[in-house]
Amino acid sequence: MATERSPVPLRLNPVDRHGKEINPAVLAAAEEVIPSALEYGLKMLRDPALVANVLEEVAAAVSRQMSSKDPPGEPLPIQNLAGYVFRGFVRRVNRLKSKQPPLVSSDGDGQPQTVRWADPTRALETKILVGECLAQLDFVTRDMFWRRAQGYSWRDIGKIHGLSGHAAEVRFRSALGRAQVRLRRGRRSLPSATRADQTEELKPAMQNDGEK
Amino acid sequence: MARNRRREFSEDEFFGFAKSYLSEAFPNPQRIGCPADSDLMRMGEHPVEARDAATSEHLTHCSPCFKRYMEILAALKQQSSRTP
Repeated sequence: MATERSPVPLRLNPVDRHGKEINPAVLAAAEEVIPSALEYGLKMLRDPALVANVLEEVAAAVSRQMSSKDPPGEPLPIQNLAGYVFRGFVRRVNRLKSKQPPLVSSDGDGQPQTVRWADPTRALETKILVGECLAQLDFVTRDMFWRRAQGYSWRDIGKIHGLSGHAAEVRFRSALGRAQVRLRRGRRSLPSATRADQTEELKPAMQNDGEK
Repeated sequence: MARNRRREFSEDEFFGFAKSYLSEAFPNPQRIGCPADSDLMRMGEHPVEARDAATSEHLTHCSPCFKRYMEILAALKQQSSRTP
């Protein structure tokens, strides 16, 4: 496969990734602030998909707020809807950023972002978990993994596989849970000295990975 | 979800990390065993185990194909959001 990769422009869905609907007026306001949101969001979060998700979530929250407070037919109490959405976006991005694990390196060349945790043990454990998951998931749950990684809602994922959103989520989570249990059992079955040696052996390789 | 003993990460963090890791851990510069773009597209549109199992398996150890598949899924997501 050697095709040219085409850049995908940022577009918002009328439903956020949790399946919450976005009011058309709020969606239009959110689309209006996409350039500013991208500029700020990419600086803070470095992932356009994450920026889009956050903006959609904020738009959905604003939509809910409007529908719960405004009687139908009344004018919107928010004077500057786009500004309101953008301020909500900034607050949520800042909150996410403050919760984000520390980054030790990143690249900003438009390629998918490099996110590494500063704690090498944590990074190693997560890599092993990801590998373990992918090795153990069946075709359907692995497809769910790909789509979830791309920010699909469980409802959308369920639709693709002929399931309800909830059933899809339950199926995926139980498969992931099984992978975690196997991973823990694998750890326990190793004598502690061997585990430590193994971790030491893996550390340099992981650090080299980090230098790539 | 995706918590370990210390409940260290959320679902977003787990998938964010997985996406970054899979995007760069398996460079495959020779593009060995890569499926055609049309295969990825077909799997993205309508995944069928009998037909796509090998392609899905390939994504677990090929970063270029993984990244391309993520792009395809993103484009399909946008497309589906535009159609009622």
